[in-house]
Amino acid sequence: MRLPSFRRSTFLAALIIAANGFIPALWVFFTSMKTETELMRVPITILPDAPTAENYVRVFVDQPILVFMTNSFVVASLSTLLCVIVSALAAYAIVRLRVPMGTLVLSAIVLVSMFPLISLMVPLFQIMRGLGLLNTWPALILPYAVLSMPVCTLVLASFFQDIPEDLEKAAMIDGCTRLGAMWRIIMPLSGPGVFTAAILAFVNAWDEFLLALTLSSRVPSRTLPVGITLYQGEFAFPWPIISAALIVAIVPICVLIVVFQERVVGGLTAGGVKG
Amino acid sequence: MTRLRIGPLERAERRLGLLLLLPAFALLAGVVLYPIATLLWTSTQQMHLAQPWLEGFVGLENYRRALEDDRFWSSMGNTALYVIITVPGAVVLGLALAMLANLPFRVKWPVRLGLLLPWALPLVFAGLIFRWFFEYEQGVVNAMLHAFGAEPLRWLSTPSLAFIATSLAIIWKSSSFVALVLLAGLQAIPASLYEAADVDGASFWQKFWRITLPMLIPALVVAMIFRTITAIQTFDIPYAMTGGGPGHATETLAMYVHRTTIDVLDFGYGSALAALMFLISLSVTSVYIGHIRRDEGTGG
Repeated sequence: MRLPSFRRSTFLAALIIAANGFIPALWVFFTSMKTETELMRVPITILPDAPTAENYVRVFVDQPILVFMTNSFVVASLSTLLCVIVSALAAYAIVRLRVPMGTLVLSAIVLVSMFPLISLMVPLFQIMRGLGLLNTWPALILPYAVLSMPVCTLVLASFFQDIPEDLEKAAMIDGCTRLGAMWRIIMPLSGPGVFTAAILAFVNAWDEFLLALTLSSRVPSRTLPVGITLYQGEFAFPWPIISAALIVAIVPICVLIVVFQERVVGGLTAGGVKG
Repeated sequence: MTRLRIGPLERAERRLGLLLLLPAFALLAGVVLYPIATLLWTSTQQMHLAQPWLEGFVGLENYRRALEDDRFWSSMGNTALYVIITVPGAVVLGLALAMLANLPFRVKWPVRLGLLLPWALPLVFAGLIFRWFFEYEQGVVNAMLHAFGAEPLRWLSTPSLAFIATSLAIIWKSSSFVALVLLAGLQAIPASLYEAADVDGASFWQKFWRITLPMLIPALVVAMIFRTITAIQTFDIPYAMTGGGPGHATETLAMYVHRTTIDVLDFGYGSALAALMFLISLSVTSVYIGHIRRDEGTGG
């Protein structure tokens, strides 16, 4: 929509969007630097009176947040790796190798991986329990890889499609095999696509709660969302400590979206609008 | 019988193609299809992990039990209400954010990050943050009410208020994804349409109703289907904010399934509930699949 160049109105719009996005996290950040006594005060304060890092120290010293973080990192990274490899192979097969009924296969992948997690959670609990995998990393890595398969396959397929087929043909004439051509030509050229897919898969895995809650609920195997939500204070919910823990847990995600903002937006809308 | 003649090279390519699809199929079979089969089978069993001696086939008994279970119906009603409130809520807020974000900014990152941060936040964290906002004594919402001279409200322990508070959290959290999808749709609208309207002296609202909205319908449909599929599965935010309370006022079907299986260990009945949920969700997803397939058919 063409508005006249009212610098002020665009500034206001940016302010509204930024406020909507940032204020909740900012409020938590302020809370994380307040003491329990300051929180009890009426009327409430906005900025911390005497900013303290004590809550952060307590998060790391009194709570096993490093354990949660390790679990989150391992589960999210390995499931991302698995998801990107499996999706890249599938996307390549659909786009380049003229698999019979390629779009049908793609739709099936999307349909199957959009089954509600809650329905999968019940049997997955029984199966993982039977296999003795409850409270282990693989119990989460495998489902998380499937969770992001549709978006990764769609993003990668659209990137592969844009690479001229002649490049591979040339490579194959020079003696490359199909897979060699995929590895040497397609993958490097779709680096941004692979990256986008990987970031989306990582964020999905990092954020997932329901499966982590049911398949991995023992304290040493909790991921960050489960670990923080199930924090137990002695009396009431310990808000300053929870706030500090929330900040610690969202910093990695913030770094990811700040560094890769354009790719994330591109990937999300490719996955969203194109399917 | 006519067989399509294909060369040996092409046949080898196809074989390779199927081979490359194998890992994806194996993963889907192991993590989705086999579990769903297990779910359907378990739903016909009496299976209570605390009473293993009572196990056995009961046919559709678990489903019959669901029909007579008040708590099933109340959790179903709550889920439906969340869909009815939060899908339009997130679409309206998302549309507003997308239209603001579509203005010509010189510096783009504050807008982009403002839309991305709520999306990237885990749902439970959004739940925890809003629970903190709606706390009775220390919460910022009651502090604002107080500043305007109103009485503080017991947001999370009054059934209707708890429902409103959780819905607001869901709308806030999910509107950013909607906004990103709609923003891509807005950017695809040719500027020439607006230029022509400007020549004709159209007002902002005329342009909104005659150009923006009609051109945006495909993106709106996608955003709405996505939001509906996730709204049906609402779990994290009420879990973090109210635990389903007060009473069962904010308990969704997903939360009831979780409680029945993981807490009460009644896997037979819980599986039947989860299977019902699966069917509901599947019908919405197939609408979506039909939608993308139709788009491909018309080249759109």
